[in-house]
Amino acid sequence: MISETVKEEKKLKFGLFLGCNISFNRPDVEQAMRKIFPALGVEIDDLVGQSCCPTWGTMPSIDIVGWCAVAARNLALGEEKGIDLMTACNSCYGSLNEARHKMLKNPEIMSKVNEILAKIGKKYEGRAKCRHVAWVLYKDVGLEKIKESIKYSLDGITVAVQPGCHFLWPSEVYPDKEEDPFNPKVLRELCKALGAEAPYYTKLIDCCGMGALRSTDPEKSFILVREKLECIKEEIDADLIVTTCSSCLIQLDDAQEKLRKEGKINFSIPVLHYVQLLAICMGFDPQQVAGICVTPRDEIIKRVLEGGKR
Amino acid sequence: MEITEGVPPVINLTEVAEREKEEFEKKVSELIIEFGAENLLACMQCGACASICPLARVGFEWYNKKLIKAILIGMKEELLDDPTPWACVACNRCTEICPRQVAPFEVMFAMRRLMVEEFAIPTLAIEGLRSLYEHGHAVYMTGREARKKVGLPEKPPTTDSDEKALQDLRTILKNTKLAELGLIPME
Repeated sequence: MISETVKEEKKLKFGLFLGCNISFNRPDVEQAMRKIFPALGVEIDDLVGQSCCPTWGTMPSIDIVGWCAVAARNLALGEEKGIDLMTACNSCYGSLNEARHKMLKNPEIMSKVNEILAKIGKKYEGRAKCRHVAWVLYKDVGLEKIKESIKYSLDGITVAVQPGCHFLWPSEVYPDKEEDPFNPKVLRELCKALGAEAPYYTKLIDCCGMGALRSTDPEKSFILVREKLECIKEEIDADLIVTTCSSCLIQLDDAQEKLRKEGKINFSIPVLHYVQLLAICMGFDPQQVAGICVTPRDEIIKRVLEGGKR
Repeated sequence: MEITEGVPPVINLTEVAEREKEEFEKKVSELIIEFGAENLLACMQCGACASICPLARVGFEWYNKKLIKAILIGMKEELLDDPTPWACVACNRCTEICPRQVAPFEVMFAMRRLMVEEFAIPTLAIEGLRSLYEHGHAVYMTGREARKKVGLPEKPPTTDSDEKALQDLRTILKNTKLAELGLIPME
């Protein structure tokens, strides 16, 4: 008789949902994911033929069934293969999961969506969902494995975390939830696993001002991002801002440069998506996994690579 | 017609005006409910949503609590020209904090859907829809220097590199309200 003492771990596999901003604006985030996940034992499927989630200013603003139909085609690409999606973009995470929540809650919406999907020979049953990469790293991969995987640590480096709105709210629709959605811990824990300090600051959960707000009224949008940056500088004097959202990444990186040029702030704090920071710590080429930015990153990357060798 | 005795009934114009106003009021809130804000009437105007709303923070006129109040008292025309709903970042702080499950985010977006019916839609939103239909991406860039720089193929594995998937997406969009409204050309 064979006694099976070691239970074989179920192979982790997800459909990599890119979204528009990561595909075209920040492909270094895509490259970071393509490097770290296989190295951490997570298989990636490309979900060939995926589209925009759809983002808030498009179908969600027109019609609920239309919104859900576009989301359902994307989710069905995973469901057909028996896998969940995962994304590094909070907007995609929000739109896909809100749509799924609406379909599961309201059978009438689900059936209308499937009538539309039938026209392209597809269906969606509500099984596949979209996970957030930060949650996959925190829950499925685990902090221990992350600690074991890194070649460089962030000892002595203070980071300001920016989880971003759709990582947190509305918690009802998400597959993974913070214990207290107004006092998020997951990103802080993920940063601490790399050796960084990740203290609380009073505007930690405040909006960066990106998205519809920025396209509608840039001046008002910059009020929020400026307040956030000043708070980060004054309260914790962070060496680095780390986010789990591609929109926050673009806003904090991009708007910071504009504020400097206008003389509204006189400091510079580099910004990275968590998957980029992890990729750097794991030893991947910074040019590939963090090569696109407006606010310079060279110094902090150099500091990590020179000072943090384990 | 035979003339009967007595004074003919007077049409009470005030009463008619009141009744018409009531019907109009009903229509605005009913539309908002129909467009997705199912729990609109549960709002008790406590202001929790406003306390946490980024739009209220930076000075937009019709932030969540105030928009709900305006809808409940039947305002409509005043709201149609206002950009506030289109500035909503959909952050859902309001939905999370609301003690009455109103989901003020749903009210904001139902207002967008009502505005779309009245063609009060910003140019940028039209551009996003057009890009979604043409490329499968609301945000789309033809330049691929960034992808090449980081060592990725020029085209991501999306509708951008899959013609069949793009046609599928277009078929879906043609079968939604977007096509009924005729907001963008859909060949």
